[in-house]
Amino acid sequence: MNCSEKELPAESSPTKDEFKKCPSTPNLQNIRDLSSEHHREDHANGYLPIGNRFHQEEAVSPSAGSGRGSLLDLYGDDDNSYVQVSPTPSHHSLRRRSTDAGGNRTSTTRSVHSTTTKRRSAIPELQNLDRYGFRKQNNYITLKDYDNWWQNYSKYCVRRKHKWQLFLTKSGLSLNGDSPTKFPPQSEKLKRYVRKGIPAEWRGNAWWYFARGDEMLNKHKGLYDKLVDKCQAEKVKVRDIDVIERDLNRTFPDNIHFHRESFQVEDPLMIRSLRRVLVAFSLYDPNIGYCQSMNFLVGLLLFFMNEERAFWMLVIITKKYLPEVHSVNLEGVNIDQGVLILCIKQYLPELWTKMESTYTNDGEIGSSDQQDALKQMEILNKLPPITLSTASWFMSCFIGVVPIETTLRIWDCLFYEKSHFLFKVSLAIFKLCEGELVEKKPSLLFSQNIFASFSNESLLSNHTHDWAAHQNMNRDDYDMILFQVIQTFPKKLLNPNDIFDKVLFKKKIPLNKLDQDEIDKIRKYVISQRKKWVRFNKVLKKGDSSSSAIVAEAKVDSRNAAVSKEFGMSDDMIADVLASELSGFKRMSLAGVDWNTNIKARVKQMKQQGK
Amino acid sequence: MGNAFSRALGKLFGSREMKILMLGLDNAGKTTILYKLKLNKIKTSTPTVGFNVETVAYKNVKFNMWDVGGQERLRPLWRHYFPATTALMFVIDSNDRQRMTEAKEELYSVISEKEMEKVVLLVWANKQDLKGAMKPQEVSDFLQLDKNLKNQLWCVIGSNALTGQGLVEGLSWVSNNTAKR
Repeated sequence: MNCSEKELPAESSPTKDEFKKCPSTPNLQNIRDLSSEHHREDHANGYLPIGNRFHQEEAVSPSAGSGRGSLLDLYGDDDNSYVQVSPTPSHHSLRRRSTDAGGNRTSTTRSVHSTTTKRRSAIPELQNLDRYGFRKQNNYITLKDYDNWWQNYSKYCVRRKHKWQLFLTKSGLSLNGDSPTKFPPQSEKLKRYVRKGIPAEWRGNAWWYFARGDEMLNKHKGLYDKLVDKCQAEKVKVRDIDVIERDLNRTFPDNIHFHRESFQVEDPLMIRSLRRVLVAFSLYDPNIGYCQSMNFLVGLLLFFMNEERAFWMLVIITKKYLPEVHSVNLEGVNIDQGVLILCIKQYLPELWTKMESTYTNDGEIGSSDQQDALKQMEILNKLPPITLSTASWFMSCFIGVVPIETTLRIWDCLFYEKSHFLFKVSLAIFKLCEGELVEKKPSLLFSQNIFASFSNESLLSNHTHDWAAHQNMNRDDYDMILFQVIQTFPKKLLNPNDIFDKVLFKKKIPLNKLDQDEIDKIRKYVISQRKKWVRFNKVLKKGDSSSSAIVAEAKVDSRNAAVSKEFGMSDDMIADVLASELSGFKRMSLAGVDWNTNIKARVKQMKQQGK
Repeated sequence: MGNAFSRALGKLFGSREMKILMLGLDNAGKTTILYKLKLNKIKTSTPTVGFNVETVAYKNVKFNMWDVGGQERLRPLWRHYFPATTALMFVIDSNDRQRMTEAKEELYSVISEKEMEKVVLLVWANKQDLKGAMKPQEVSDFLQLDKNLKNQLWCVIGSNALTGQGLVEGLSWVSNNTAKR
């Protein structure tokens, strides 16, 4: 169904060999012309000089080369001068194989296309697009805001690039004609430079270098080609292909490189590359297959590197940076969200208190260590609703969550500083809108346990259910505010320096102490807690759980002998399960006590001994 | 469910508020509907990872609408968040006949959840602008709701998220059929 090569006019696609002539040319070579100097002037003057327009056009389109007869004519002065896209193959470093582009769609995907093309408005004028071909304007950012900001930010980018050039030269590294492939060894200085932004045209190489792409690629030379061949030769797991096809034309539909006009017979080159990478990946890693959000990851990578590299970067991201996040059971998502919640507790305790008060009930059952322990374990397992929002931050590494330049700055740091940076950014976002969230909180008449109403599996709090229902309005009100702020606020973070200068560069803000070690530790902790929870529930469910009151009692006081007898559980079993929880929670209590207390204490001891 | 309190308030102030869950297969048009209702704008179709939540006011009712990502494997992420929902709006791509069975199965699996026992069900037979689209009646027949949903209020409305056709009718129906409960 999918990868047949029939019906395809042979000359319309470059051959594999042609591609291989330039296997490592980053796609950004086309975008490179859009380097900030060029662009800045245009916008500083507030208009696009016609003379410059052609350059811009060349630069903007990945299929740009000598220009004529390609997509570029879209921007001719005459609206009717649309020319069918018939690009000459030699210009398309990117256009790896297009043999799968035609005659291979199911009727499902055809209908997708017909609907999407029907539904699209025309691409806006070029001056409305940013240097990557995204629209500058959206529901959250006006064109004026964008241009005002870009006027300064583009100058900033130029300054930073000069500094990078100096840095590299001083380190004895070649600029390789504006496409350096090696970067200085890890240092505080490099970290600072990365945080201030890698020059856009170097990003592909830099990400590849920091993520150690070469190591991966050298171990598996030729594998990507084989996978693509395999996809075209035989049918891959059909299910994934359908899902991929549905998302292809919905990936960055507003971007000029991904946009498919109704008159276009074939998918844009970027879409074809995207398809090959995603299909090859689903074949490569059946545990993951295809998960929504991967389309965005690959889409963004393709702006900066060729298909093969984008493929291996996806492998690295899903293995190293976001383990199991995209896997079928999504356990990685749940783990990371548990980690994030603990981080919020730790570093933004005030916000957490507010957030928590809307769905936990302190007074009802009385409190004991054991209950705190259970409560926290429950939170880690039935994550608070806010994680519905934040989960997507991690899955798509902030693509679409924050504006593009901010996303790219986060990616720079992600590959250099590893996954803890995603947590740091999440916390920074919460930090920035903390005021709004804390202020806006309506006075709650009562507090209640969200889990009572959010899951009938909840054993602890069934008896609060009735009056919990009365609280829906209050809780929903705050939930709505919380969600709206969390959904909207990041979309307005047009200027990456806002988040960096206001939060991430301020050493005094506690969340900046967070490092990769800590995240790794908390990840392990959350994994163990989630496993224990499953075990704990199994123990409880051994008995008939029809009587929720008894079960709740059992949970509150696990050593209740009567209950144990009734359920045929040994006291030891429950004690064991709970005891291990408690020891865990003493280190990481709800009150925001540092979970490194043990280590800190030890260091203190050592210091004293030293004296 | 959680209506007692809001109903009481509604009597006092003549306004109501309800939580609406929008579900449906991926690419059915949930997000497009949401933003058409909210902003009267058409958002380019793009997969929702996670969810969107918006408040839409219609007459004296405030709808808190939750639009949740449709891909099958992401569904477990929001399974915990069903309860406290007043109405379920299930969006169907009427033009995608191949996936109609999948949509039906998904609808029944959601509606049979215990938390969904009391919700009012509105099915939007979306994308009516497309030539090959199944008519609302056809969708309704296919879903066999009359046969299978004995204790629940339900309704199938044809819609076109691009023009907004059928959307207000949907909200209106939900509003009318929850007030009486």
